[in-house]
Amino acid sequence: MSRGALVDVAFWLFGGGSVVAAWLVFRTDSMVRAAYWLLASFAGVGVVMVLLNARFLGLVLVLMMAGEMTIMAVFMVMFMMNPAGLNPMTMVHQHRQAKIAGVVAFAGLALVGVVAEFPDRPADPDGEPTAELGRELLGDSMLLFETAGVTLLATMIGSIAIASKRGRYGDAEDGSAPPPLALS
Amino acid sequence: MNWSSPLPALLLVGAVLGLGAYAVAVLDGAAALVTARQRLPLGDIVIGPLRQAALAARTRRSTTERPDLQAWALAPALLAGMAAGAVATVPFGPDTAVADVDDGIVAFGAVMAVVMVGVYLHGWSANSPLPLVGGYRFIALALSYEMPLALVLIAAALPAESLSVGAIVESQYDLWNVVRQPLGLPLYLVAGTGLAFWGPLNGADGADLAGGTSAEVSGPARLMWALSRRFVLVAVAVMGAAVFLGGWQGPWLPAPLWMALKTLALLAVLVAAGHRLARVRLERFVVVAWVVFIPLALVDVFVSGALAL
Amino acid sequence: MRLPALLVISAALFGLGVYGALSQQTFVMIMMGLELMLNGAMLAAVTFWAMTAGGAPKGQLLTVIVMTVMAVEAALGFALVIGIYRIRKADMTEKLKRLRG
Repeated sequence: MSRGALVDVAFWLFGGGSVVAAWLVFRTDSMVRAAYWLLASFAGVGVVMVLLNARFLGLVLVLMMAGEMTIMAVFMVMFMMNPAGLNPMTMVHQHRQAKIAGVVAFAGLALVGVVAEFPDRPADPDGEPTAELGRELLGDSMLLFETAGVTLLATMIGSIAIASKRGRYGDAEDGSAPPPLALS
Repeated sequence: MNWSSPLPALLLVGAVLGLGAYAVAVLDGAAALVTARQRLPLGDIVIGPLRQAALAARTRRSTTERPDLQAWALAPALLAGMAAGAVATVPFGPDTAVADVDDGIVAFGAVMAVVMVGVYLHGWSANSPLPLVGGYRFIALALSYEMPLALVLIAAALPAESLSVGAIVESQYDLWNVVRQPLGLPLYLVAGTGLAFWGPLNGADGADLAGGTSAEVSGPARLMWALSRRFVLVAVAVMGAAVFLGGWQGPWLPAPLWMALKTLALLAVLVAAGHRLARVRLERFVVVAWVVFIPLALVDVFVSGALAL
Repeated sequence: MRLPALLVISAALFGLGVYGALSQQTFVMIMMGLELMLNGAMLAAVTFWAMTAGGAPKGQLLTVIVMTVMAVEAALGFALVIGIYRIRKADMTEKLKRLRG
């Protein structure tokens, strides 16, 4: 099989697989599986990015998302009653409106994507996107890079401050009240 | 390696992982006997691992109540696949790498992250408390060693001005990185021990959890998990030999033989550490990793960056 | 691997993310919907970079910034989930009805 055909097969496999995995995230009963179906969707997108010659971005996406989805799975198990999905339950609200909104969003964007005329300037397949990204980050877009760094630092400090058990005004558990009994 | 025949690539990666896992088992048996101050019967040490593997393959398989069967089967496959991916980015000779991509170090980082997924799934799937505890302990361990591991590899990539493992190997033609960046290899070995959850950092499969994530695993699945763990250890040693010990470079002997010798040296250090050092309490390791190792790794990056500029 | 096919796939991911963010009751599943939306956006950004922008590095930069946004949103979202659980013992949106008129 020629290289172009192989790339096409891989693209349909991983791109279509990414969409199927994303759909399965909301279909499955087991919460841990939902988190890892999301990881599979991200991995599919990462592979498509590698096929588009943005290899660094694809690999960094998989790296980030593996850790993030494991944390999501841990949070699911922490907070939900039925994390393994051993008893089936659906926990959705405004289901019809959500489906309509999803379909409208998909249709609108897909219509634009298919119908609109985009300029045809393909990237150089033999280029070095990682080196160019590095030069851009530390050259013209240095301010953006520094802002992103400071934002991440603020996030780290903020999330530790929010989630910390001991605060200036006492323990985190003080003053908590359970929700009212009736669930409408 | 070209597109039309993936067979040489499979053979190379399979040979490295298979022989490496066998070497780990042999070294493990030898280290156990040396630590116990007993004599080393050569025939037993060499045949022993094969006998144990055959026995494990024949043991009856047991299962738990309502396990997550697909995830349970996926976990060792994830570890083995990730180890194979990591070994594929390392060159075993001047032109002999399965996939010496421009971002080999980043690929190794992605491998590291997916190993965490595999071990957590292995602990979760059994639907049993002790494996679950092992999986959670591994997440705490993984989040702690990931940063020093990534930083130390980046520091090694700085003199090479490239993220590809082949370029890093070639940048060590005058001086190995273990000499040029003295903080690099010790931090890498500590983080690598955590990555393969071996010996002192065996939070996931420790004896204090009655085997941890592999407490409910038996039969061929147990053999597969043990093999996958050893594959990850071999991948750690291969990457360490390439990035810190100069890879395939060396006088007189052919390049793959140098690579094999350096990998075996690192494997011997890791296996000996497994037998000589007691298992570290995870709370203590997490504190040390975040408070000591990350600043040391940052110092490593700054110093090697200053030297490279 | 042409441009329309890639854009349809990113639109599908975005649509599924919108469905998830609007329909799920638990906070973590809502966050999964948000992550899917950002996933679709990132794939579209890389597609445009590879096919219409001639490989200009600013396209990759947008993707890196969106990854930063994902990390920030996930970290603060989880911290807020913990905070809400501590104060109100609520893990679903339905349980937060103190302010309901």
